[in-house]
Amino acid sequence: MPPTGLEPARMNRKKGDKGFESPRPYKLTHQVVCINNINFQRKSVVGFVELTIFPTVANLNRIKLNSKQCRIYRVRINDLEAAFIYNDPTLEVCHNESKQRNLNYFSNAYAAAVSAVDPDAGNGELCIKVPSELWKHVDELKVLKIHINFSLDQPKGGLHFVVPSVEGSMAERGAHVFSCGYQNSTRFWFPCVDSYSELCTWKLEFTVDAAMVAVSNGDLVETVYTHDMRKKTFHYMLTIPTAASNISLAIGPFEILVDPYMHEVTHFCLPQLLPLLKHTTSYLHEVFEFYEEILTCRYPYSCFKTVFIDEAYVEVAAYASMSIFSTNLLHSAMIIDETPLTRRCLAQSLAQQFFGCFISRMSWSDEWVLKGISGYIYGLWMKKTFGVNEYRHWIKEELDKIVAYELKTGGVLLHPIFGGGKEKDNPASHLHFSIKHPHTLSWEYYTMFQCKAHLVMRLIENRISMEFMLQVFNKLLSLASTASSQKFQSHMWSQMLVSTSGFLKSISNVSGKDIQPLIKQWVDQSGVVKFYGSFAFNRKRNVLELEIKQDYTSPGTQKYVGPLKVTVQELDGSFNHTLQIEENSLKHDIPCHSKSRRNKKKKIPLMNGEEVDMDLSAMDADSPLLWIRIDPDMSVLRKVEFEQADFMWQYQLRYERDVVAQQESILALEKFPTPASRLALTDILEQEQCFYRVRMSACFCLAKIANSMVSTWTGPPAMKSLFTRMFCCKTCPNIVKTNNFMSFQSYFLQKTMPVAMALLRDVHNLCPKEVLTFILDLIKYNDNRKNKFSDNYYRAEMIDALANSVTPAVSVNNEVRTLDNLNPDVRLILEEITRFLNMEKLLPSYRHTITVSCLRAIRVLQKNGHVPSDPALFKSYAEYGHFVDIRIAALEAVVDYTKVDRSYEELQWLLNMIQNDPVPYVRHKILNMLTKNPPFTKNMESPLCNEALVDQLWKLMNSVFLENIGY
Amino acid sequence: MADTATTAGAGGSGTRSGSKQSTNPADNYHLARRRTLQVVVSSLLTEAGFESAEKASVETLTEMLQSYISEIGRSAKSYCEHTARTQPTLSDIVVTLVEMGFNVDTLPAYAKRSQRMVITAPPVTNQPVTPKALTAGQNRPHPPHIPSHFPEFPDPHTYIKTPTYREPVSDYQVLREKAASQRRDVERALTRFMAKTGETQSLFKDDVSTFPLIAARPFTIPYLTALLPSELEMQQMEETDSSEQDEQTDTENLPLHISTDDSGAEKENTSVLQQNPSLSGSRNGEENVIDNPYLRPVKKPKIRRKK
Repeated sequence: MPPTGLEPARMNRKKGDKGFESPRPYKLTHQVVCINNINFQRKSVVGFVELTIFPTVANLNRIKLNSKQCRIYRVRINDLEAAFIYNDPTLEVCHNESKQRNLNYFSNAYAAAVSAVDPDAGNGELCIKVPSELWKHVDELKVLKIHINFSLDQPKGGLHFVVPSVEGSMAERGAHVFSCGYQNSTRFWFPCVDSYSELCTWKLEFTVDAAMVAVSNGDLVETVYTHDMRKKTFHYMLTIPTAASNISLAIGPFEILVDPYMHEVTHFCLPQLLPLLKHTTSYLHEVFEFYEEILTCRYPYSCFKTVFIDEAYVEVAAYASMSIFSTNLLHSAMIIDETPLTRRCLAQSLAQQFFGCFISRMSWSDEWVLKGISGYIYGLWMKKTFGVNEYRHWIKEELDKIVAYELKTGGVLLHPIFGGGKEKDNPASHLHFSIKHPHTLSWEYYTMFQCKAHLVMRLIENRISMEFMLQVFNKLLSLASTASSQKFQSHMWSQMLVSTSGFLKSISNVSGKDIQPLIKQWVDQSGVVKFYGSFAFNRKRNVLELEIKQDYTSPGTQKYVGPLKVTVQELDGSFNHTLQIEENSLKHDIPCHSKSRRNKKKKIPLMNGEEVDMDLSAMDADSPLLWIRIDPDMSVLRKVEFEQADFMWQYQLRYERDVVAQQESILALEKFPTPASRLALTDILEQEQCFYRVRMSACFCLAKIANSMVSTWTGPPAMKSLFTRMFCCKTCPNIVKTNNFMSFQSYFLQKTMPVAMALLRDVHNLCPKEVLTFILDLIKYNDNRKNKFSDNYYRAEMIDALANSVTPAVSVNNEVRTLDNLNPDVRLILEEITRFLNMEKLLPSYRHTITVSCLRAIRVLQKNGHVPSDPALFKSYAEYGHFVDIRIAALEAVVDYTKVDRSYEELQWLLNMIQNDPVPYVRHKILNMLTKNPPFTKNMESPLCNEALVDQLWKLMNSVFLENIGY
Repeated sequence: MADTATTAGAGGSGTRSGSKQSTNPADNYHLARRRTLQVVVSSLLTEAGFESAEKASVETLTEMLQSYISEIGRSAKSYCEHTARTQPTLSDIVVTLVEMGFNVDTLPAYAKRSQRMVITAPPVTNQPVTPKALTAGQNRPHPPHIPSHFPEFPDPHTYIKTPTYREPVSDYQVLREKAASQRRDVERALTRFMAKTGETQSLFKDDVSTFPLIAARPFTIPYLTALLPSELEMQQMEETDSSEQDEQTDTENLPLHISTDDSGAEKENTSVLQQNPSLSGSRNGEENVIDNPYLRPVKKPKIRRKK
């Protein structure tokens, strides 16, 4: 153990080294949860909990627990009645009489309310008085058993009931109930210490209808009938100490599938979906193998359960030894597009089993470690499963997301420290919400937080190598599993909690490297780096003069000081240079290796050792530079705007083998609409070896370039002849081949090309007739009879293509849109949409992708003035009872209508739905869409912005139920 | 006499014209018989000494004669059937005539009377040909166990198949074109029909028929239609997964559809799945090698177990 590495960590974080200090004057060791009556009709639950606690201070007379919306009947401590007070300040965040109504006021009040019950501060909604008879007992620090009888009626969160209104018993109807929530929200369905840092063992009992199954955490010990044989009780034991926040439940008439590869893994789905479940989960064992191998650690729980349920709160929710998924992730073998998405969800949930469920966190400010590690190992799985290209593409995507968010909204702080200092109290004053508690965050912020966490883990990996990284994880896991097996030494259990300091200490112990600067930059500080780069070539000195500027004054940015890698591709090869970015130096001189005099016979060596022939006629005769890349490995969280000549971007696109570089050059080429760019893009499109996502984005870039050079464009519309060559019959070029999607790369390309082509415009800014006919022909001749795969996504994209081809209608003094003055092209489009939408009713496609596309296309037609704008159709599709994807698409159209037509009525309708819709996901989504596409903005005059609306929104916010999003 | 001749002549020409006019051979036959009877009546009248007769009276007499002859035939048939025969004999006729009050003994003498006239036999009209059904292929001969007097087999096309001999269109382009437009037409017609018979929504307020959209109807369980492949797709699915049949034969111990996946798994990981053959053989929990708590039988409550 190198002692040098220990010092910085210890110096900076004194608190963490002492181990975990509980904020509570007692230690919880065991909890029993017994739910003995579940009524689906009334959506109610009756049960009791029993907490076994050991006081840690002598004069403990009040015990605070968490509980929300439960009705508590009776509390007994060691069989003695105990008095209790129940107060939930989040029910009414701001008091009625208050005059102030602004976001700031609300945010502060909300943060105060949340911290008043925060279990991590030792608070709780439920305060129990220890009976005086027990005081002596407490003083001896002897065990207390708290028995609480409670019931839950029509819960608004925590437990979600799905009860389809059909004939038959509850089991026949497919009624089910499951626990859900954001972060620690177990208190919504039973009284507990709702903290990730209070671990205990569990005994869980659920009495349900004999035709149903109760799935919960831990091992199913036995299932026993009740005396009347009409119900049965599921007994679960969870011997691994677990936080209440990781406890979950799902009850329903599930079909049971034992994993054929791992018999301790069981999958559950709703009736009739078993064949889909089989196919969907058939891959899971490989994910298990992967994680167990890289972590050199067995899966910590003795069993694992996956449950697929309807109306899911989120697509994936991981809890101790079980994960709850949305049923919409299930798919058959014929579906291409959903397969990788579902596998990603499975892998994600499994990564969280190790870090998040098994290993929990000490406090909210340590959350980033868990999210970071689980996200990071999930990334490793991605790399192994989908390849390096996909992985790098994903990293780039995530990086772009976090950069865009931080630059727009302000920094994301991974490790907030809330010290005593007044001005330090709110380290995120630029945000309209407090980041002190997980519950006060906006949803988007939390998503970005997770994204940044795993990117930072990757930066740490870059610094200390993957091998050490995995060793650290293994160490954390083995410490935790040793601690978890100490059944009766509950003080050891804090080893299962991860803290930032503990994690960093582990890193320095294992690697012996000092990563303090890195942590300081990305973890303790928010913001990203924004580079502007440009260069000049000094021929005399044969030196590349690179200028790198930074913008660190705009919100969401920070100054970067340290090493920065620059890769220069010259005629003689590719060379890496590490520049030291310092306060004042902007210019960096990089010596070139090759003379500008070019040797024509020689092949040009690339970064990966490959040697290629290039046509060098395009380049500057004086300079040996082909292209330059700044920070090619994405080892800084940054945005780079780099200036180089168009031919350099073209070379980069053609010859650089890194997909990220290719993507960047495609983006840059949009600004250079020249025949040379066109040729480079077309060549990439045709190259089979090229990564399919690069080819897909090349399509869209090509469309943009073609539009910019519309007056000089020669030949058929962009991509048409290419598509014809790749996907149409040899003998009759206007007919597309019968579908064969065996090669996924070309499938994705085939889907995308028409969508991009539809964006082409002629000199009149209309979609060329030729393109429209071409797309209509594709639809007409589409033939999927011999295909092994479903073509629903393909057909949906064809409708998207039709929608893309729509241009604003020429309207003569606002005449009313009727059938008679309908544009003939639009008539053809409408004909197709009508037919597709109607066919969906008879032969529905997977996840109704086609309906979704049709609804979007209709909205496009309405918006462009071809069809009268009318929300009635969308409103009917938005009703409860449609598939959730359809509802969201329809609601999106209504939201858009509300904005464009400034309809007060529709806004009311939406707000009403936000309050009353049975599906939390839909409620959340409407709010989300309203914020993304707001009906009016701050400084805009709008008839919608009136006092009644303010009143209504204020009320809604006051009773807001855990749906944190940015307003 | 001349009249009779005309009548007779008219009869002859009538037959001819009749054959021209009427298209139905049965009608034709009927007419011919009637003309013959008229000739008979006319000659009898001539024999009796009439020189002329009104057309109506000739008709009446013809009718009477026809009725008389028909009655003889009907009665004779009844008599013969009465004695369990199918073909009338002379005695049947005799009895009939006796029954009808006719003195049979006078008949031979009457037949041999001297002044009787002989009528030429009516021209043999073509036997009305039963229109031949379209023959296609050869009728099958009777198999040996069917007596030959049984009716012949019908034409093979009526019960086996109809071979058609048309050159199939092989041009790829035409075929694709045809398949595409056919499918489109069918889809269009079907959806229009559905739209006509049910509720619709429209994009244009003033027009509901040009682009009729079948009204959106919420489902009680929306995820089922969204996720399960449609029947059409099921047909396409080549892999026949036989494990889908969840027979609900389980006893009360296993009231749920429990199935252990044993299809498709063998391909890769045979070592883990050695037990599969035995598994498929016995499905009751005891012999199940897979020990999964969810597959275990539910326990009976203990007697006097208190909550």
